[in-house]
Amino acid sequence: MKQAGSSNIFSLKSRLNRLKRDTNRWSVFTLAIVAFIALPIISIGVKLFAGPGETWGHLVDNLLVDYIGNSFFLVFFCSVLVLLFGVSSAWLVSRFEFPFRKQMEWLLILPLAIPSYIVAYAYAGIFDYGGSFELFLRFFNMEFIRIDMMNKYGLAFVLSISLFPYVYVSSRAFFLNQAGNLLEASTMLGIGEFRSFFKLILPLARPAIIAGLILVLMEVLNDYGAAQYFGVNTFTTGIFRAWFALEEPETAIYLSALLIAIVFVLILFEKWQRKNLQVASQIASKFSHRKEFKKPAQWLIFLIVLIPVSFGFFVPLAQLIYWAVLTAGNVFDLDFLMLSLQSFWIAFVTSVVTVILATLLIYFAKWSSINTVKSVSKLGILGYAIPGAVVAIGIMIPTLALDKWIIGIMNDYFGISTGLLINGSLVALVYAYAVRFLAVAYNPIESTGLKVSSSIPDSSRMLGVGNFRTFFRVEFPLIKTGILSAIILVFIDVMKELPLTLILKPFHINTLAVKAFEYASDEMVMEAAIPSLFIIFTAAIPVIFLNRLLIKD
Amino acid sequence: MLIVDSLSKSFDKGKSFALKDVSFKLEQGDVCAIVGESGSGKTTLVRLIAGLERPDGGVIKLEGKEVSSIKKLVPPEKRNIGLVFQEYALFPHFDLLKNVMYGISKLKNKKERAKEMLELVGLSGMEHRYPHQLSGGQQQRVALARALAPNPSLLILDEPFSNLDAMLRMQLRSQVFEIIKKTGVTAIFVTHDTQDALSVADEILILQNGKIIQKDQAANLYTKPSSIYVASLFGNTIQLNKEMQTAFDCPLNPKCDHAIRNENLSINEECEYVTHARVLKKTFLGTGTQLLLKLDNGQKISVVTKEREVADRIKIGFNSTDLLEFAG
Repeated sequence: MKQAGSSNIFSLKSRLNRLKRDTNRWSVFTLAIVAFIALPIISIGVKLFAGPGETWGHLVDNLLVDYIGNSFFLVFFCSVLVLLFGVSSAWLVSRFEFPFRKQMEWLLILPLAIPSYIVAYAYAGIFDYGGSFELFLRFFNMEFIRIDMMNKYGLAFVLSISLFPYVYVSSRAFFLNQAGNLLEASTMLGIGEFRSFFKLILPLARPAIIAGLILVLMEVLNDYGAAQYFGVNTFTTGIFRAWFALEEPETAIYLSALLIAIVFVLILFEKWQRKNLQVASQIASKFSHRKEFKKPAQWLIFLIVLIPVSFGFFVPLAQLIYWAVLTAGNVFDLDFLMLSLQSFWIAFVTSVVTVILATLLIYFAKWSSINTVKSVSKLGILGYAIPGAVVAIGIMIPTLALDKWIIGIMNDYFGISTGLLINGSLVALVYAYAVRFLAVAYNPIESTGLKVSSSIPDSSRMLGVGNFRTFFRVEFPLIKTGILSAIILVFIDVMKELPLTLILKPFHINTLAVKAFEYASDEMVMEAAIPSLFIIFTAAIPVIFLNRLLIKD
Repeated sequence: MLIVDSLSKSFDKGKSFALKDVSFKLEQGDVCAIVGESGSGKTTLVRLIAGLERPDGGVIKLEGKEVSSIKKLVPPEKRNIGLVFQEYALFPHFDLLKNVMYGISKLKNKKERAKEMLELVGLSGMEHRYPHQLSGGQQQRVALARALAPNPSLLILDEPFSNLDAMLRMQLRSQVFEIIKKTGVTAIFVTHDTQDALSVADEILILQNGKIIQKDQAANLYTKPSSIYVASLFGNTIQLNKEMQTAFDCPLNPKCDHAIRNENLSINEECEYVTHARVLKKTFLGTGTQLLLKLDNGQKISVVTKEREVADRIKIGFNSTDLLEFAG
């Protein structure tokens, strides 16, 4: 027996030996996927060195204050409103019994089914001259009060009412699963329910609530359609203006980089606030029963919960249905049907591609034996934080470069002149969607995967079966629900996506979201209702279905 | 058969070790128990042998072939080692037959072989049940059948009985080791229960803080433990420090540590070394009584006796043949 001894096993030579030993193809594949996903962001970073465009100086002097000011205004106002709507409704449905409580539980998620730009169209119509609000007031013989939605206050309201469910879902999860014992202990100590909620439950729920809030704020910064329609200057509208109106990619890239910086500050803040509160118990504790007041009080709670549901879902939906009835004859034709099918098809292909990519990323990282690779793999899901317009610009840069290279080669060696092959094709569009929505697919697959004990794949390998076959024979059957929810979630997000699609979609192809946007931009907002309703219904049905799935888990 | 040489594993780049310089050998057909408290590194050790973890240093050889070193690692699926997990890890979406056939899918007579294995563990007729329809003990036996089906050169059982209640545990323990002896497979099993180890293992390996502190046959471990720690793993042990030695009037080699097992202390009987004690407290334990004693020189010790009735003042003693001596 040779004596190796443990004294020198952390020498540089031993470390290198181990690194060589532990580097397998899975590590390489993992890094390749991360690089593929990160390429757009890296491209933006690299392009920054080329310097800003001609109008950058002018933009900094005149518009940047506006962009930053408006974005901060939106971040602040939306935070206040979504916390108000989201946390209060979550507490009410988890703590109290009232009529239609079960229905309210999932109705409160439904505002997510309506993209915020469509909510914006609906509210603009409601409060327009001759709009539903005026008709409503006249019907009751009241004097017409003009409420102007087309400004930053209206925008903040519209974004909040359509995005609050993110906060509702994350805080409800905490209230339902963790708050039971806390509240019981607190009330046993003689502290009233009201004070217990503010002194104890709310501070402990903070990480969960803020996690939901950060998602809202990312969506707020991502929004293009609503801000553009309401005429509010934000970073995203600025990027579009620089790209399309000024035709200055450099300026768009500089704005994108600034926006990325803001998003990363948000992410760092989220991580920091989580670190400061790691005391929240992991022990599940549910309420033994919901509090039941007398009937009138129960109906009062019902009415309170009905407010966000109505403004976020029923009111805009009613307006859209009203418009749809008026315009059905103009909009509904064979072309529209083809367009819908195209839209579904793109969303379906994208969700399958994205889910495969996410699954590969999760399992390759798992099979890799280098811890650094495992941590790096998490970077792959940051695309969700990057606004769609920025992702689109980021995709443009490398695909254009590649296209130019291909054109050059074809020209020089074969004498064929090809056009742009990748840019402006479905490939670039699906690539961009995959970058942006990888996290949407990653999270449900990862969390169902975590429920499968690691000894299951381990025992498969001990029985002589390799990683790949182990995945298909043992792990895949056990994470099917996660894969299915991932496909549905990505599908919905692609159906709703607007800014990225506007920049990258091929000329001959259209989606329902783009169609709705085009109608609205062409002063035909009523015609936008039918494509909008198509999006809403394709999104709403899976949202209900997923809520069931989540409750069952 | 199995050679482990200077095996080391650290989880924080050398600041602390889960295992440090562990070396031992197993011969064909040996049944070896690895005993240690939780955190002693015993599970890490078997996972390294199985190939499920990566060592930072050292070598593992299996049947003469190097399967693990700092430069080379044979993946777990190519090591021909059977592993029975603590939580059994049966595939929940397969029935028993499919579970057992999983590792022998390339065999021609896989179905017959699987049925044979289920019969061996006493579960024939249950081929088409699913794991969730079985009791814990039955699942354990399926896991054993599944691990034995591919005819592994080494079988590892990680805390195989820890999820079972005491009655079932005893029963299953003898069944499982009857099967292991019948197949003649070399086996390692990990446990924190010394009774498990003493009753079935040819050899026992004691781990503490990632190091082997003793490896010996069961009887030797009991009679000649290498340290107080090992001695106390196999039962209540009373250390004989200077004051105790004066109390019993038995001057011992000052260069060594000494101890006496609780069961070798006799009450009110003639012995080589005796002293008197006052009983401060009696706690009824069912099988016996726990006594808190104050020896005449003021020392307090706690002992367990089979007697139910104990006087308030007793004589307590032991014989020199029962002394345990440890090199200091």
